[in-house]
Amino acid sequence: MNYDDETLMAYADGELDAARRAEIATALEKDPALTRRVEKHRALRAEVASAFAGVVDQPVPERLVAAANGETMAAGKERTPRHDKVLQFPSRGARAPGPGWGVREWGAMAASVVLGVLISWRVFAPSEQGLLAVNGGALVAHGDLATALDRQLASDQRRDEPVQIGVTFKSRDGNYCRSFALPATRTAGLACRVGGDWQVAATAVTEIPAGQVQQAASAMPAAVLAAIDARIAGEALDAAGEENARLGGWDK
Amino acid sequence: MSNGTEEIGERIVGLLPRLRRFARSLSRNQHDADDLVQAAVERAWKNSAQLRPGANLGSWMFGIMKNAWIDDRRARGRRGEVPLPDDSGSHPAVSTADIDLKMWSVSEAMSKLPEDQRLAIALVLVEGQSYKEAAEVLDIPIGTLTSRLARGRSALAAALADEHEGDLA
Repeated sequence: MNYDDETLMAYADGELDAARRAEIATALEKDPALTRRVEKHRALRAEVASAFAGVVDQPVPERLVAAANGETMAAGKERTPRHDKVLQFPSRGARAPGPGWGVREWGAMAASVVLGVLISWRVFAPSEQGLLAVNGGALVAHGDLATALDRQLASDQRRDEPVQIGVTFKSRDGNYCRSFALPATRTAGLACRVGGDWQVAATAVTEIPAGQVQQAASAMPAAVLAAIDARIAGEALDAAGEENARLGGWDK
Repeated sequence: MSNGTEEIGERIVGLLPRLRRFARSLSRNQHDADDLVQAAVERAWKNSAQLRPGANLGSWMFGIMKNAWIDDRRARGRRGEVPLPDDSGSHPAVSTADIDLKMWSVSEAMSKLPEDQRLAIALVLVEGQSYKEAAEVLDIPIGTLTSRLARGRSALAAALADEHEGDLA
């Protein structure tokens, strides 16, 4: 059975009713060409959404806040075209993009960061208890950390999530790896998907000046960068690649 | 100021980040986008008497923004103005994060679409509105919205593919 483009688009957008959705899901299982068409819709949507996602986290110019409050511009106060005064606006509930999560940006920031891998229990205790477990001699993600690694997309995460996902990439042995940050405890790390677990390959302390919690997501310690460099095959995944990997359950 | 208007003010302030994103996806640079938001918000206050209690303030604001954008484009067209190019560093390679480069290239591609398709894309893909909500903002039937959205998507995919090719050249 063939479906027109508008139907597949509505399916990709989650706009069909349950019966129609089930019908198409069944058709997709049998038809890879149809699946590819749906994936194209999803990928374009993810690309467009993530391109503009960062705007909601930017500070809102003061003139707009004044206008929104119904205040007219004071006489003589001109609009200053390219240098608006800005007001820090709380991005409550705002969706953040993966802000500047390129490996290069991290490298630049690593200068301000304490070196050395510190798999230290002090780092995780007491507020991060339950984020790690041991399985067959390996440290694996557990609890909220495991959930975030499973589900959260860097292209679509809130800045106030306790776990911030960084880059996602395929390692040379074909496993998916994702870097993460735990801003509350100034910890960053790298985890790779091995046999259904997220094995924690490196963690390190990030040195973030007080009051700049938001930066915690993007300041990546050199030790974690080195762990990424040692494993990465090719480039980090883009938003669509990240979403596809999640859809595939992080299977190789 | 009565409590009612104070409350509307607060709610509009709360909408500003999303209004700026919507405006940015329709404009080619952030400065034009913020001018558009300001024009829309001022227009909203002028017409706030039209806002019925219980009406969806978000849909109303997005609708005003759509009208303000279309009016602005007509006015620029009459004045023969050519819109300024993107201002996010112009050459994204210089010190801009990946995210700006991406915004720049999607923005370029969107600017090539007809207005009605651009609006549909901006509301559904950028703002994440449902087809029903977007149709309400644009004041068109859902069937019209879906066909504009589908045409806009294929045009956008083609424009982005062209750009990616351009990158390699």
